[in-house]
Amino acid sequence: MRCLTDIEVQAVVDGEASDECRAHADACETCRARVDERRDQMETIASLIDADGMPASALELRLRHAMRDAGDVRGATVLRARRPSPWRSVGLVSAAATAAVIALVVYGVLPRLGAPTTLSASEVLSRSLQTISSGQGVERLEYEVAMDGMTDGPVVIRQVIDRDNPHRYKVASYRPDGTIATAISQDPVRQLRSQLFHVDGTNYIVRVGAIHTPVLSIPQMAQALVETSIGIMQAKSDQQLTIEDGPTGRQYIVEIPPVTPQNPTATLDLFSARAVISGTDFRIQEFNATGTILRQPFSVSVKLRTHEYIGGAATDESFAIRPGPDDVVLEGQADEDPVTELMTTVLRELGRARGK
Amino acid sequence: MKAVDQPLASTSTTADPQGETLRLFQEHGAALYRFCRSVLRHTGDAEDVVQETFLKLLHHLQHDGDTRNLKSWLFTVAANGCRDRTRWRLRWLPWNAERDHRTVDPVDEEVRLKPDTTTVARKAFRALAPRDRLLLSLRAQGLSYKDIAAASGIREQSVGRLLARALDRWRKQCVA
Repeated sequence: MRCLTDIEVQAVVDGEASDECRAHADACETCRARVDERRDQMETIASLIDADGMPASALELRLRHAMRDAGDVRGATVLRARRPSPWRSVGLVSAAATAAVIALVVYGVLPRLGAPTTLSASEVLSRSLQTISSGQGVERLEYEVAMDGMTDGPVVIRQVIDRDNPHRYKVASYRPDGTIATAISQDPVRQLRSQLFHVDGTNYIVRVGAIHTPVLSIPQMAQALVETSIGIMQAKSDQQLTIEDGPTGRQYIVEIPPVTPQNPTATLDLFSARAVISGTDFRIQEFNATGTILRQPFSVSVKLRTHEYIGGAATDESFAIRPGPDDVVLEGQADEDPVTELMTTVLRELGRARGK
Repeated sequence: MKAVDQPLASTSTTADPQGETLRLFQEHGAALYRFCRSVLRHTGDAEDVVQETFLKLLHHLQHDGDTRNLKSWLFTVAANGCRDRTRWRLRWLPWNAERDHRTVDPVDEEVRLKPDTTTVARKAFRALAPRDRLLLSLRAQGLSYKDIAAASGIREQSVGRLLARALDRWRKQCVA
């Protein structure tokens, strides 16, 4: 048989080729190489499309809502309020009042009494998990963190992360008085990594360029920790779900009542946890937990202040630590280990200061 | 790359069309969204088309529609929805960052100076003609040539040829 045409090669890749073509592709080295090349290209395209991620978790809610209301109208219009004609409105006033009372009882009173709701605690956690892991673009977050042992009070964390390239990020922590405590940023695009420490009233910035391989992403590690915690919460059998409708919209509160530690050797275990999850986008608004991590007890409280996707507004500056006029900047050389790179830079500078 | 899927024959009863619609949303919603997103290049529009598609599915099931290959049915309806949405956009011509050449997008500038392979591949894919994007997106979601033909309104015999050409054009865009 002659060598395959491009169309036949495509058909082999797509599993639509005839037996004869498939047999030839297996036997002919040239054609097999062409099939492999084309398959790689199709896989690249598939991965590009898959990178578009998951639909927002709110989409399913929209769909449920639209399905519930879908009667004589279909499509996106079901989400738009229909304008009743005046004569009809007048005739339906008493019916509407009755419906309003029923709605108030169903959506306002019963949930507070712990009546059954359409979503289980596990489903709420599952959607929250989906929201956490399906972020795209450049995301800016600000949250408050309080942990055991923090004598000065809670710190504020400001974080920028490029979800499409999670190794590109900046995280900075601020003390209760608003002064910066620490910061770290990494930008694989510009091959820069910076760390900032506030010591005796002065900011010291250690900056290295030409980083070979980006180190682990701190926001990703934190996210993994939250995802694991949510997974543990899901696995517990005694979750309690409360729904609250406030001025900012619906909130789901999932709690695990305090328990006696069962497995002190586990890498991460929760003794109690409480998550407040937005009913709009299933994003975690507050998270409080006690437990052990690496066999050490911990107690943490996190509260989301702001969250936004800045998309095209993100620039190189968004991922950079810019020194102030009084800050001390130490330039160093990149290393595989950021701790080594930090120590080497500082010690080298110390040596220079001592004239060595 | 996903293998060619077997036609999804709905084995469950459609006595509960809403439940069946939600089940199918769980099963195919994400793939359908990615398909719409890659064709329309707009998150909000993609979500709208997915929602409209499943509402049409509900209507279809409520009226005892054919349930032999619902995956193909879903992608066909979504592809039509994407076409309608694209036509609507062309009529209204809203402001579109990609067509606004008055400003320089700093991200694009950065990409131009130091583009990585993925960025180049993505830009090349976005630069393809709508039909090429449609065909490659349908295939990337694992649809067979027969289903792609149904969803895109072209002859089944032409699907392989058009896919091969679309892929060649994408490759040329990548090296351009």
